[in-house]
Parts: sequence; structure tokens; C-alpha cells
Amino acid sequence: MIINGVEIRDSFAEAFPMAGTRLIITADTPRWAHTAAASLTGFATSVIGCGCEAAIERQLDPAETPDGRPGYAVLIFAMSLKDLKKVVPLRAGQCVLTSPTSACYSGLEGGAAIALGRALRYFGDGYQIAKSIEGRRFWRIPVMEGEFVCDEVVGSTTAAVGGGNFLILARSRPAALAAAEAAVEAMGQVRGAIMPFPGGVVRSGSKVGAKYAGMIASTNDAYCPTLRGVSQSALPPEVESVLEIVIDGLSEQDVAASMQAGIAAVCGLGAAAGVVAVDAGNYGGNLGPFHFKLRQLMAPVAGETVV
Amino acid sequence: MSAYRLTLRAPLAARADLSGINPATLAGLSAQAVGWLTLPYGNGAVQLGDLFEVSEVEGGALIIGGDPRLDFVGAQMAEGAIEVDGPVGVLAGSGMIGGSLLIRGDAGDGLAAGLEGGRVEVTGSAGAGVGGALTGDRQGMTAGTVSVAGSVGPSLGARMRGGLILVGGDAGPRAADGLIAGTLAVAGRLAAGAGRGMKRGTILAATAPEAPAPGFVSTGPHDLVMLALLARRVPELAGLFGGLTGRAERLVGNRLAGGTGEILVLQ
Repeated sequence: MIINGVEIRDSFAEAFPMAGTRLIITADTPRWAHTAAASLTGFATSVIGCGCEAAIERQLDPAETPDGRPGYAVLIFAMSLKDLKKVVPLRAGQCVLTSPTSACYSGLEGGAAIALGRALRYFGDGYQIAKSIEGRRFWRIPVMEGEFVCDEVVGSTTAAVGGGNFLILARSRPAALAAAEAAVEAMGQVRGAIMPFPGGVVRSGSKVGAKYAGMIASTNDAYCPTLRGVSQSALPPEVESVLEIVIDGLSEQDVAASMQAGIAAVCGLGAAAGVVAVDAGNYGGNLGPFHFKLRQLMAPVAGETVV
Repeated sequence: MSAYRLTLRAPLAARADLSGINPATLAGLSAQAVGWLTLPYGNGAVQLGDLFEVSEVEGGALIIGGDPRLDFVGAQMAEGAIEVDGPVGVLAGSGMIGGSLLIRGDAGDGLAAGLEGGRVEVTGSAGAGVGGALTGDRQGMTAGTVSVAGSVGPSLGARMRGGLILVGGDAGPRAADGLIAGTLAVAGRLAAGAGRGMKRGTILAATAPEAPAPGFVSTGPHDLVMLALLARRVPELAGLFGGLTGRAERLVGNRLAGGTGEILVLQ
């Protein structure tokens, strides 16, 4: 399959079930809402080393937030509910409770309850106040700047999917970067999915295992342009640089929609912008239950575009 | 769906106890069978049909003609809607679990006492002990919403444990007496002695209370995110005060009882 001169390789992204949730963070100004959200989702690129994967989902209009202030929706994913229950209060406590003027609310109803205020309230040292409003319980924790307000619990889902991905194979480093930026921009419009790596992009895609004992992941040598000919390469001669985009979503559909939007944006730039092919990372199909087949995903787009 | 209208044949000469008369208990009964139901009246009992004319009406709500001697209207109701055209006597909506009770008139003492859920609305004024405790109970209402457009008598929300009471007019003496938790909102004046023995909970007041019970300390004015949250989740509350600015003076009490409740004087 070729879209706008870009080869869509006959491959698939292999993804895994995860537990996930959405938090809504507000503050007096967009700047401080972003600061709290960015801090909360910092160092959360991969479960391998960070314990969770998190990123900002989208900016929220004041009209959309529980307290009418500027806000951000963030998504957090972990390998199990147990892990999620550990990281959510930990991160909210260190990054949102501490951030000036912030408040933290549940952005997902239903599923297992993840403690938020239920855990953070102890910081109030007995001065904290619970308030039930229209069936929902909130906590008010006195802090030096005023009061930190948060939901007692947030909902969660175990139908989340992590590890959706695609690789952009390009003629040059600037071309790969421009295509990745276009993809991230387009994928930012899809709700329910995030790209947890820096700026949404990974330059160091990994394979499972390594020659060294104890390393559970190591560089994906088949896609390293400087190793072409040294190891078994998956890259055609004209490819000089590869970037990967990893996607986590609250459902399989969200991940599929995000991948489709991203790949369509990459193809929109096309061969003229130096994009050679789109590929995906998998482990042979035996590890993850979710397989996102690139050609199947892009069939509707290819049907409308010149092939 | 059809429901019943109970029209008083004449003004009541004695107190009538309407507990147990609600949409759920009347469901499936013919108009004649409804008329045969007995209810306590004075020191005896009468058939409902002796006091009321029973007719079928369209709509889902049970409609009752009001009388100041009509007690326990909607008491213990779990679901459905009751509308009263006129005043009611004591303990209307007491022990209600769910559903809605609308009173187009005044209510007597003990309105919504021991309320556990649902919504009670009064277009006129109400007597003493709105949302308070039923006789023998240690705590007052635990959940639900009570809205009184006019003023209320003494001991508003006494020993209340949860839920929300909105008062469009003034509140009589000793509001929030021994209040355990929950929210009171008073758009008019808050008479003397409010918050005696108050443990937790919030009183939202449009004006500074005349003389709160001893034991309250002012923490000064604050911009409270909680008020913005409250205003958005309960638009009716914001409407009561003509909008909430988010700024309020916070009085904490009752410290004499070791309480951490608050009176928020809106600014």
C-alpha cells in the first residue's frame, strides 16, 4: 500500500492491556494549570523505567472544568490497577498538591475507584474538610497558599491499551522530525489517547532483551541507520533516520483512531517531504493481544487518496 | 401515566396524618380503593374518601390540596412525586428516602426532618427544625436537598448530618444547632445563636450573622476554589445568592465544642 508516495508496510503494532484513568487539573491561569499537568506527567514515558505512562490529553476550556477555571486533562496508564493505585496519589501529591492555585478532579466515571483525596487528605493533619456535593465527595486541604481542592476518588478502566505505535522512516533527520511533529499535532486532536514520550516522539525505539544480562530492552538495531549492514536491517538504503510514536489509549478504538490520524498526517506530507515508509513495532504477535494492522487501519484513508 | 388528585372536601377540623400516602402506595389502586384507605384523623381514624375527593389526573405526580392541619405529607416516601397546592402541617417530607415533594404554600415545623434523600421544595416559609432530627434520633437529615423560598423558624438544620438546605429568606435563632455535617445556605439574615455546638459542615450566609454562638473565630476573607466548584455543581445555590464570587470571610467553629465547621460570609 502506498499513500502519497509513502509505503505503508505490511506490519502491525502489538499492544498490551493497561489500567488507565483521566485527571482534570485546574488552576487560576492556563500557565499554572499547564505547569501542574506537565509536572504530574513528567518522567512518565515508559512503564519500563517510570512505573507508569502519562501525558496531557488536551487543554480544557474554563467552561468544561468542574470549577470554571482553565485546566488540562491528563491520562495516566499503568500495567495493573495495583500500580495505578500507587502512582496516581503519589504523583498528584507531589506534583499537583504542591503546584500553586491547582485543584485536581476526576475525569473518568466508573471502574475501580483510585484514591485521590482519600490518600492526600492526611496532609491536612486533621484540618482537612470533606464536602459532599451532589453525590460526589471532595476534600479541601488547607495549604499555605489557600486551599487544595480535590476529588475523593477517580474512576478507572482496565480496558485501556498501551503500546500502540508506528515508525516513520525518512530520508533525513529533519524530514523524520517534521513528519513526527505533524503526526503529533494531528494525534493531539484525538480524545482518549496520549503519546507519552517527550513531545510525543521516541527516537530510541527498543527491542525486547539485550546481549547483557539484566537488560529487558535495548536499542532496536534493525532500525538504526548507522548499523545498516552490521546487523539485520529493516531499512532501505535511502532511509537515514527513523522516529517512533507510541500511543496509549483508554480503549482499543482510541488507540486505532490516534494511529490513523498520525499516519494520515505523515502521509499528508508524503514522499516529497522525505518520508519513505511507515512501519510498526511488534514482537511477532505472541506477546500482546491487540494487533493494529497498518494496512487495515489506513485502508479508509488510502481509498480516498491517490494510491 | 395517570395519577390521583386528592381534593379536600372541606377545611380540616382536626389534624390528619398523611404518612404512607404517596405515589408508590397508591400505585395499582382504583380511585375507589384509594378512598377506602384509612388514615389517622384527630384522635380517631377516617377513610381517605371522607376527607378528600379522589380523582384521576394525567401526569406522574400525586396532587394534594393543602391544609395547615395536614401532617406528615410525603413522610417516608421512597420514589415518585407529590405536589401540594396550599400549606401543610408538621413533619412534611420527614424521613423521606427519595422522590420529590413540592409544597406550593407554607410548611409547619419539622419539614424534612430525618431526610435521607430526594428533594423537598417549599414556595412559602417553613417552621422550626427544618432538616432536623426525628424524635428519638441522634441526627437530623443525612442527604437530599431542601429548598425553602421564604423564611424558616428556629433551629434550622439542628443535628443535620448531610445534604443541602437552601433558604431564600431569613433563618430563625439557633440555626445549625449541633450540626454534624452538611451545607446550609441562607440568603436572608441569620438570627442570633447560629452554630452552637456545630461540629463540621458549612453555613453559607449572604450577610454576617447577627451574633453567632460563642466559639467562632474569624480567619479573615479568602478566595475559595470550593465556592466556584459549589456554584458550578449546584447552580441553584449560586442562583440563591445571585451568583457566587468565590470570596468569603471564613468563621471557624464551634471551637468551644472542638468543632471544625465554618460559616462562610459571602462577599
